[in-house]
Amino acid sequence: MSAAVPRAAKRLRLAPSRSWVCSECRRSFASSVRQRQQQPGQEDKTTHFGFETISESMKASKVAGVFSSVASNYDAMNDFMSLGIHRLWKDHFVRSLNPGVQYASVHDQQEGQRILDIAGGSGDIAIRMLDHATNINKDNKTHVTVSDINPDMLAEGRKRLSATSYQADGRVDYLEANAEDLSAVQSGSIDLYTVAFGIRNFTHKDKALREAFRVLKPGGVFACLEFAPQLSNPLFNAVYKRWSFSAIPLIGQIVAADRDSYQYLVESIERFPSQPEFAQMIKEAGFLIPGQKPDGTSIEGGWEDLSMGIAAIHKGVKPL
Amino acid sequence: MALSYSSPTALQPPPYREAESAILSSAIKHVPVHGFTQQALNLGAKDVGYLDISTNLFPRGAYDLVLYHLVTQRLALKHRIQFPEGQSIGVGRKVKSLILERLRANIDTGVLPRYQEALGLMSLAENIPSSLRELGLLSDEIWYLAGDTSVDSSWYTKRASLSGVYAATEVFQTTVDQSSDLKDTEEFLDRRLEEVRVVGSAVGGFGQWVGFQAGAFVNLARSKGVRI
Repeated sequence: MSAAVPRAAKRLRLAPSRSWVCSECRRSFASSVRQRQQQPGQEDKTTHFGFETISESMKASKVAGVFSSVASNYDAMNDFMSLGIHRLWKDHFVRSLNPGVQYASVHDQQEGQRILDIAGGSGDIAIRMLDHATNINKDNKTHVTVSDINPDMLAEGRKRLSATSYQADGRVDYLEANAEDLSAVQSGSIDLYTVAFGIRNFTHKDKALREAFRVLKPGGVFACLEFAPQLSNPLFNAVYKRWSFSAIPLIGQIVAADRDSYQYLVESIERFPSQPEFAQMIKEAGFLIPGQKPDGTSIEGGWEDLSMGIAAIHKGVKPL
Repeated sequence: MALSYSSPTALQPPPYREAESAILSSAIKHVPVHGFTQQALNLGAKDVGYLDISTNLFPRGAYDLVLYHLVTQRLALKHRIQFPEGQSIGVGRKVKSLILERLRANIDTGVLPRYQEALGLMSLAENIPSSLRELGLLSDEIWYLAGDTSVDSSWYTKRASLSGVYAATEVFQTTVDQSSDLKDTEEFLDRRLEEVRVVGSAVGGFGQWVGFQAGAFVNLARSKGVRI
């Protein structure tokens, strides 16, 4: 049954396979919305899927198609595309968050944290969180809920986490849910909400942020690791864009035999809001941005750039 | 009364947001026991109803706690000491008592036994720019409170020399001073201020000498018919 899902999703994909690489590079700097192969209903709201414009109702299923088709070789592809650096980013992300209750013994209530890892189907972040809590903070209680909209990705994570002791200890569970509607999660029940390389694919990012605000406890932390559309240095930016628009779809074609999904990946990065814009979105959802001045004007230091700004870590703290 | 161009710090907005100052002010109370550490921050956050994880509000961790101490004590300095009106106290004496008062704040808040940790954090490469900036702001504050209104080039040399004196005295207070009520530190400070005065007058004298020699050389050259 689940094997039918990717095929069905693939059939849904409407983008013609683009043939040549350099036209893609040029397009990335040229006007943004070009094509509109699909005519959505007049009253239907539209959103973007990479550089295509599609109706909002279509986006979730198209993203599902992408991730269903990449699920099985997700890890190998990440290593190829980022030259292994995505592991360093994820390590740094988790270390900077410092999950787990430190010196759990000095507190009366022996209660770990509840972590919700959204779009965490691959289990990458969940395993790192639990490792950090257990080995660094000596906290054997902290619990992670891995949530993903895509059952294929979730199956990947389940496979990987079942190889660890955390599964047996009951410190991890799984939730198949849309991040824009986490009705399965109680309000004010989560200490730490993380989303690593996922929020880019959400249809309504503001809705997902509001939902994050709802499920977090007062004092809880929203943390997001995501690609940034532009590097600050124009020279490096040109090199990087060259890499992402020519090499990544090519690697996708060779390694995973799926060019379109990786074409979508780089296009979706291009469409993601820049760091200041996204920090502003987090702020509008009600979060306190770290490092901001009381007058609220300067959001310098509200995020942390990784590898010269290829990716960035955003955080927000829910006020009491 | 002449209006000052530098606005009094009283008119500036508070340096921290409400949540930040709540967590940091209760965290600083844990410093005597736990030091300038992440754990002091965690405990401070818990005291005011936040969670361990909420300390992600402070991107630099324990160093943000150090900065909080520096900023709040700098801003509190003007409330800690009041110079009597009417009496003429020399600027030098005012500066000396302001420095001592700021150093007393390290004792009063109870952080002095742990202050080496703070100095260590301040000396980390990534923290050096902001600690130097804070040191500069402190010496600016001290000269302002001492009533110094000079706007010539001595503005820079005064702040630079005071920064040096203050940093040295603080290290002395933290590492060497075993006496009661800062007696040794006060003597140390006297010696440093005296050095600044001696060196300052030597530099001034040397400058005068260089100026005289240059003038004499120009005149000599002119007397030989060089058109300068």
